Amino acid sequence: MTGIPFSVTTRTSEAGAVITVQGELDVATAPRLRAAADAVTLSSGRLLVVDLAGVTFCDSSGISALIAARNLAEEAGAGVALVAVPARLARTFALIGLADFFPTYPTAEDALSD
Amino acid sequence: MCEAGDQAGPGHRENAGPAFSALLEDSAEDLYEHAPCGYLSTLLDGTIAKINATLLGWLGRERDEVVGRLRFADLLTVGGRIYHETHFAPLLRMQGELGGVAFELKAADGTRLPVLVTSAVKTGSDGEAQLIRTTIFDARDRRAYEQELLRAREEAERERDRVQRLARTLQQTLLPPALPEVPGLEVAAYYHPASADEVGGDFYDLFPLTGGRWGFFLGDVSGKGATAAVMTSLARYTLRAAAVSDPDPVAALSLLNTALHQEYRGSDPRYCTVIHGHLERRGDGAAITLATGGHPPALLIRAGGASRFLSAPGGQLVGAFAHARFTAVDVLLEPGDTLLLYTDGLTEARADGRVRYSEEQLQTDLAGLTPATAPSVIGAVTDLLAGFGDGVEDDTALLALSIPLHGGDRA
Repeated sequence: MTGIPFSVTTRTSEAGAVITVQGELDVATAPRLRAAADAVTLSSGRLLVVDLAGVTFCDSSGISALIAARNLAEEAGAGVALVAVPARLARTFALIGLADFFPTYPTAEDALSD
Repeated sequence: MCEAGDQAGPGHRENAGPAFSALLEDSAEDLYEHAPCGYLSTLLDGTIAKINATLLGWLGRERDEVVGRLRFADLLTVGGRIYHETHFAPLLRMQGELGGVAFELKAADGTRLPVLVTSAVKTGSDGEAQLIRTTIFDARDRRAYEQELLRAREEAERERDRVQRLARTLQQTLLPPALPEVPGLEVAAYYHPASADEVGGDFYDLFPLTGGRWGFFLGDVSGKGATAAVMTSLARYTLRAAAVSDPDPVAALSLLNTALHQEYRGSDPRYCTVIHGHLERRGDGAAITLATGGHPPALLIRAGGASRFLSAPGGQLVGAFAHARFTAVDVLLEPGDTLLLYTDGLTEARADGRVRYSEEQLQTDLAGLTPATAPSVIGAVTDLLAGFGDGVEDDTALLALSIPLHGGDRA
């Protein structure tokens, strides 16, 4: 699983935007998540969803990128959510207390319909 | 092709004609003598039999003083002569030809001329070697180019040394020059920079508080380089000031959170993870309150060898959010116990190619150390890091505190 290449894809809908990240989210790849979040037009009432199902590793740069995305969403009056957080990441996120700042859902559909 | 030439106008032919006939008048003899390179023919013992004017010009010598009197090696510098006798000549005899070898010619006035030498052995119809033909090219331009390359490389190396010295100096300002002596406690620390060129973002400190208590912390700022160093500096001094004025480590982390969040909110958020503790002598041991802000849990190794992680669940990143929460745990260190604080450069290192190390693996690897002491634990982890080599991608800071055993009675 560690060998999957890094990718970031964005799809948008009425309810918001879903950014799907795959591979290792680290100092080399985190800027691509930041760029994807920057490129999304957010507005009040919409939701920015980051799908982490395919993420095999996330270091402090990755976490910074998630916090940056959250700050962008907050400025625009939009919400933010993480979905499908893999177990190892969930453990890291629990350690640093991210759960309080990022509502977490099993799937993007769950997040968008909530 | 000829037809195409015929179709070119008369004017074209008039222009090309004189130049071409001048080329035809250029005799083989003239070409030999005044070629843009040196020619030399020597007997098998090296005696010069024939030499062209170009080469004589470079040497500043007359034909009479060279032909039949000097050997090829006599035209070289002392070092070149030795190289010629030990390498060039034997190899040439073996291979029959040898090309592109750099020598220095010594001219009559003592000046040296860098040249590239190519030689071929001429054999007769019976296959016996008869003489050696040598072509010599002026390599002054090439030598200048090589010296320029060398100079540029030396300059780049000096620049790299300068950057590394700067990074090292800056790093040292972020760490205590030496850990203080704490009565009844053994302390040891280690800083492992992942890169010599960049300042890392890990920090630690150990310092006295009022009433015989001591404060300590170890943390990790997100990111690397100059901006991380600025935040590291701010974090270290803010936390130290807060620790001195507030007896509650949780309150000190809250103050640090406010200071950092003021500075680093927005589209380029930065934060740190910190473990911050207070320590007070209690009988033979020490009572410790350990507050955590999103940092990997400290490892407690008991005198008997049992170990566990001291997690303080709920502690959040420091500086990322306006209202972060921090939590603390209390622990009593007894004689023979060791407390290890570390940054995730250790636990996220690639231990074996791609596989990342882990907290569980660290606990297992340190299980054999009994009795563990601050210096022995730091020594063991330092060895682990050395074993990971390039797998340590991030800076790693280590700080260990232990209570010495009295005369080994609890060992």
